[in-house]
Amino acid sequence: MKDCNSIREQFGLLLYGELSFDDEERVESHLDACEECRTALQREKAVHAAFDGIEVSPSPSLLRECREDLRIHLLEEAAMPRPQQAGWWEKFVDAITLRPSAGLLRPAGALTLVAMGFAAARMLPDATFKGNVAGLVPGAARVRYVEPASDGKIQIVLDETRQRIISGNVDDKQIQSLLLTAAKDPSDPGLRAETVDILNTRAQSADVRDALIKAVQEDLNAGVRMKAMDGLKPFAQDAAVRAALTQVLLKDSNPGMRTQAIDLLTKGATVDRQIVGTLQELMLRGEQQGYVRERCRRVLESMNASLETY
Amino acid sequence: MALKSGLQMDETALIRAAQDGDHAAFEQLVRAYDQSVLRLAMNLLRSPEDAHDVYQEAFLRVYRNLHSFRFDCSFHTWLYRIVTNLCLDHMRKRKVRKEEPTVLATNDGPLDRMDAVPEDRVDGDPQRHLFSGQVRRRIKEVLGELTPRERMVFELRHYQGLRLRRIGEVLGTTEEAAKNCLFRATQKMRAALGDFI
Repeated sequence: MKDCNSIREQFGLLLYGELSFDDEERVESHLDACEECRTALQREKAVHAAFDGIEVSPSPSLLRECREDLRIHLLEEAAMPRPQQAGWWEKFVDAITLRPSAGLLRPAGALTLVAMGFAAARMLPDATFKGNVAGLVPGAARVRYVEPASDGKIQIVLDETRQRIISGNVDDKQIQSLLLTAAKDPSDPGLRAETVDILNTRAQSADVRDALIKAVQEDLNAGVRMKAMDGLKPFAQDAAVRAALTQVLLKDSNPGMRTQAIDLLTKGATVDRQIVGTLQELMLRGEQQGYVRERCRRVLESMNASLETY
Repeated sequence: MALKSGLQMDETALIRAAQDGDHAAFEQLVRAYDQSVLRLAMNLLRSPEDAHDVYQEAFLRVYRNLHSFRFDCSFHTWLYRIVTNLCLDHMRKRKVRKEEPTVLATNDGPLDRMDAVPEDRVDGDPQRHLFSGQVRRRIKEVLGELTPRERMVFELRHYQGLRLRRIGEVLGTTEEAAKNCLFRATQKMRAALGDFI
């Protein structure tokens, strides 16, 4: 009976498939020889089935409400300044703390640690460790939330606002990477416009051009979109740029943007016949902007294309 | 296997895009997990209002901290760490304050607030008829008597189907500790339900 009790204690884990091979073997062997325990196992299975009967699923209306409220919270959140994204400094910290995400930088990080330790020992013989909170400047950080950690300590998450000046040539990879990030900063259209202005001088780079294409199609501010269009003008024959300009022509609500787009798409003595379908669609939709409508009509006539269907 | 690795690659790309500020990518990430997050919170807290709060707070924390996610663990594990911590906090506060009981005393006898919420099983399911109201109430009482950690491990194993190793990762403990927790939970429930089944 004592053996039976110890076997029955294992039924829960047995039904979840979480017993070790040896333990499961011991239970199975016992069950082969003990009818009472086989009956007890059936009762245990009934208990399991009973648990299933009380599971609840969230109603579709609750899920919908949660999603809608989250959307609003995220919009509010996006309007607030955000912590910086992982850049070279964070990657450097990853490397010297030997985190797996540092990848190939880990050996370099290890060497850096050794070198730093050597230098510190030589130069700072009296240096003492002051703890994680010693370097905090009051007012430079905002406590976002606090929670007790499993080891009994308190974990505090801070939003830190630290300004740092970095200067370098616009062709410098790090500078360019920061500019590409700033060009997407949702909270500051002025920053995006200035950044796009600078990036326009380097539109021959594919990465920069991709950022300008994204800006011309997706930026919420018409001024930023206009500046991005300026940067793309010299590349109006590039297939990706033409595709973006076509989208602008069809979808942008700003008449100035559509006017510039049609000029760029129909520039030159020979007009790409692929644009015909787009122009016909504009005519069919009853394009409201006079210049765009007239330009469409003239181009279609010059190509002997129908004003309605191609 | 090919499909799985394809999905993982998609998720990695989504996370990286969201880290770069792509709101559509973040929304896709939310949509991929939010139903299971809400279900977990609802089953643990047995209150639509609390489940709603946990949902909001969990995804806002993800949004605020996604830039620091370094792929040291799976996104699922990282997200569940956030959600389970929030749920544990709720359960602990509830234990201390003894407020918002899920089973209310009324003139007509005990009433579970979650009885108004539809359950997974359809009405025509014959298995459902085997569970009397008395058994269902007793199960809910017993679940409420477990410690928050036991309740969490039981929820993750029984209803969410996570293996103990994964549960250990999510809760920041060992597989062995999670196993002990599940063992205690099942022992308590067997003892409490023995007369009913």
